[in-house]
Amino acid sequence: MSKVFGLSLGILAAIGGFVDIGDLVFNTAAGATFGYQLMWVIPIGVVGIIVYSEMCGRVAAVSGKAVFDAVRERVGFKAALGALVSSEVVNLMMLAAELGGVAIALQLLSGLPYRWLILLAVISFAVIIWATAFEWLERIFGYGGLCMLVFAVAAVKVGPDWVKVGKGFIPHVTQHNPTLYAYFVIGLLGTALSPYEVYFYSSGGIESKWSPKDVGLNRANAIAGYALGGTLSLALMIVGATVFLGHGISPQHLGTVALGAGDPLGKIGLLLALVGILFAVGGASIDTLFSGAYNLAQFCGWEWGRYRHPKGAPRFALTWLVLLVLAMGIVMTGVDAVALTEYAVIFSVVALPLTYVPILLVANDKAYMGRYGNGRLANALGLVYLVVLAVVALTAIPLMVLTNVGQN
Amino acid sequence: MSCTELDIGLHVLDHQLLDKDGRRCGNVDDLAIEGGPGEVPEVVALLVGPGYWGPRAGWVGRLAGWIGGGAKVRIDWDDVAKVDSAVHLKRNATQLGLGRGDDRLRPYAEKIPGAGR
Repeated sequence: MSKVFGLSLGILAAIGGFVDIGDLVFNTAAGATFGYQLMWVIPIGVVGIIVYSEMCGRVAAVSGKAVFDAVRERVGFKAALGALVSSEVVNLMMLAAELGGVAIALQLLSGLPYRWLILLAVISFAVIIWATAFEWLERIFGYGGLCMLVFAVAAVKVGPDWVKVGKGFIPHVTQHNPTLYAYFVIGLLGTALSPYEVYFYSSGGIESKWSPKDVGLNRANAIAGYALGGTLSLALMIVGATVFLGHGISPQHLGTVALGAGDPLGKIGLLLALVGILFAVGGASIDTLFSGAYNLAQFCGWEWGRYRHPKGAPRFALTWLVLLVLAMGIVMTGVDAVALTEYAVIFSVVALPLTYVPILLVANDKAYMGRYGNGRLANALGLVYLVVLAVVALTAIPLMVLTNVGQN
Repeated sequence: MSCTELDIGLHVLDHQLLDKDGRRCGNVDDLAIEGGPGEVPEVVALLVGPGYWGPRAGWVGRLAGWIGGGAKVRIDWDDVAKVDSAVHLKRNATQLGLGRGDDRLRPYAEKIPGAGR
C-alpha cells in the first residue's frame, strides 16, 4: 500500500498540474478543431515535462533545493526577482481560473449559484489546507482525479478511426489555417510544460521528505504521473475529435468537455467526468496556490512547506491565504475562467527558459549533486527541450496576436 | 569556518540560510568583503534581509526591499558552520536576529485551531 501511496505526488502533479483547466479545454478544442492532427504534440510535451520533473525532483531529493532556490542562485538576483514577479502574476491568474473551474464543476453538479460556490470553494480550500497534512492533500486530490480516466474509456467507446489516430502521431503541418494550427501546437506545449508543475513537484518532493535514496521513487513518480496525464490528454483530444468535430461544436465551456464523456457513456459517464474534473481542477488549485507561496518563501529564504505546519512557517501560511483571497477577488468579477487560463498559459510560456535553465545547471553541479548529477541522456534531452522552449517562448505572443487568442 | 576552495559568488551568495536547528532563516542577500588594494579580499560577513536588495537590482530592488520591510541583519563569517547546498549557521535564528517575521506572526497563527497539525 505504501508503494501505491508513494506515487501520490506524481499523480497529483499529473492530474492537477498536467490535466488542469487549460489542458481540459485546449486538448478538447484541439480535437474539435483539427481532429487527430495534433496528437503528435502531446508525447513531445509529456517527455519534456518528465525530463525536467525528474531532474528537479532529483535535485530536491539530493540537495534539498527546490526550483526557486535554484533560480535565485543561478540567474542572479535581478533576473530572479523578475522571474518571481512574473511567476506570481501567472500563478495567480491560473489559480483564479482553476477556482472558477471548481465552481463551474460544482455548479453543474449542484445547480447552485456560481458566486456562492466560489465562496464555498475558497472557504473549503482554506480549511482543508490549514488542517490537512500534505500527503493527504496529495491522496484526496490525486486519487479523486482518477475519475478522469472515464475519458479514456469514452475515447475507446466512441470508436475513433484508429488509423487516422495513428497518423496524428506523425508530426506534420496542416494546409487548412496553419497559423491557428501553430497556435494550438504552442498552447499544447505550453500547458504541458507550465512552470508551476515543476515548482510544485520539486517542493512536493521536499514536503514528502525525499532523500538521495528516493531518486528511484522520484523517477517512477515523474514517469508514471505524466504518462498518465499524457494518456488523459490524448483521450480528451480523441473525444474532442470524434464527438465534437463531426457536429461542428467548439468547446468553450468546461461543461462541454464533460459532455464528451456523457455522449458515449450516458449519465454515469457524465457524472464521473464532472467529479473527475472537480478533483483535477481542485488539485490544480492546490498546485498553483502552493507554487505561489513556495516561490515567494524560497526567494526570501523564509521557512516554508505544509510539513512545517502553519505554526512553524507562519509567513508561508499567510502567503497562501492571501493568494487564495486575491484569486477569489479575481474570479468573483465574473471573468471567463477558460479565457483567463489561455492568457495565463501563453504568458507563462515566455518565462519558461528562466525556470528550466537553472534546473539544468543545478542538476549538473557536481558540488552538491555528486554521483547523482545528470547523465548523458538527461543532458541531451534537457538541451533539446531548451531549444523547444526557446522556440515556444519566442512565438507564443506573436501567435496569440495573429490568431486573436485562438478565435480564428 | 575556514574555506579553502569555494566559489563565493556561486555557492554562497543567494543561498538558503539554515540555523543550527535546521530552520530556514533567510537568504544570503549580499556579502561584506574587506581588503585593500594588493590584499587578498576576504568575506567578513553575510548580509541578510530585504534592506540589502537595493544595491543588487536598482530601483526595482529598492521597491521590493521596501515592500519587504527593509530589514537588515549582518551575520559574521565566524557564525558560519559549513557551506554545502545551503549555508549552515552555528547559532539559532532568534539569537542571530533572523526569521523575525515568522516569530512575530506565530502567536497569531497559533490562535487558529489546527495550526500545529
